[in-house]
Amino acid sequence: MNEKVSRADAGTAQAVTVTRVNPAHWRATAENLLVGQADVSERPDGRSFISVDAWSDAAFDRLADRMLADLNGPLYTVVDDTDPALLAKWKQHGLQPRRREREYRVPTSDDAVRETLASPPAGVTLVTFGMADETRLRELDRDIRREVDATSGWSSMPAEVLPGPNGRAVIDPSRYAVAVRDGRYIGLVRVAGRPSQPRIGLLAVRADEQRSGVGRILLALALHAVHERGVDAVCTEVDETNTIAFRLLDRFGAQHTGTAWELERSR
Amino acid sequence: MSHGIEVKGNVVECLRNATFRVTLDNGHVVLAHLSGKVRKNYIKIVLEDRVLVELSPYDLSRGRIIFRYRS
Repeated sequence: MNEKVSRADAGTAQAVTVTRVNPAHWRATAENLLVGQADVSERPDGRSFISVDAWSDAAFDRLADRMLADLNGPLYTVVDDTDPALLAKWKQHGLQPRRREREYRVPTSDDAVRETLASPPAGVTLVTFGMADETRLRELDRDIRREVDATSGWSSMPAEVLPGPNGRAVIDPSRYAVAVRDGRYIGLVRVAGRPSQPRIGLLAVRADEQRSGVGRILLALALHAVHERGVDAVCTEVDETNTIAFRLLDRFGAQHTGTAWELERSR
Repeated sequence: MSHGIEVKGNVVECLRNATFRVTLDNGHVVLAHLSGKVRKNYIKIVLEDRVLVELSPYDLSRGRIIFRYRS
């Protein structure tokens, strides 16, 4: 499992040894020091995400070479948009940008929250966090996931909302609020993350109820609930092609805080 | 083999390029970037977060954040 390669690094030649210590983890050493680590982990949708942390370019290259040779099939990684050096390294190793995701910070006390909650869409009522019927919530979640599967697919969604490999999502009603029309659950919002740093994990409306303000009232409800807990902002991520979501977040005064690339090796 | 030095600390400044200034429990201040595992798992680091930093064996003023403790 070991291989030893000498390589010039920043003007200093040093030998880097890479060892695969278990099926998901690699280590690089030089002169008896740990100079880098790499690992692979599987997301709930079955996609494998890789990462390399190294203290020298030589260690990064050796780890990436070894890991990419050891692993078959498509591989993915995430790189911050403000880290062009890491992006360039992964490109050198054959990974290509697949999509970008924008990160936002949304204030919970914006005037738009109060105004939106004061005028909900006609015929729509809200079931707040922890009060939704779990069976009906699960049915709504399942139906929405089927609609997404049949259209854009989940691969362009943030990591946490991906369905499990058995198609069954974990539902905790305390994290969900629901919109209801004529007794039918039509949309949901999920607040995830730590109590002090909440994030909007999922905001979704049935296809036949979209563009009627349901998503807007659900987001307002979520922001209001977080504000009531004394937290002044939530974070969320949106695929950069999702212009409808951008417009919705913009209405609530969201601030763009960062962008991340998702890269793919497609073979 | 000598493993990396891991030290707990607090984030005192969020800098550009996904880099953070962290005051370690021993009083030293280091520049730390996010580890691949942290980034891959969409873990956000903000001001005052309690974190575990692995220090560079080549430069003890540099490190990477490998864990964020729950507040």
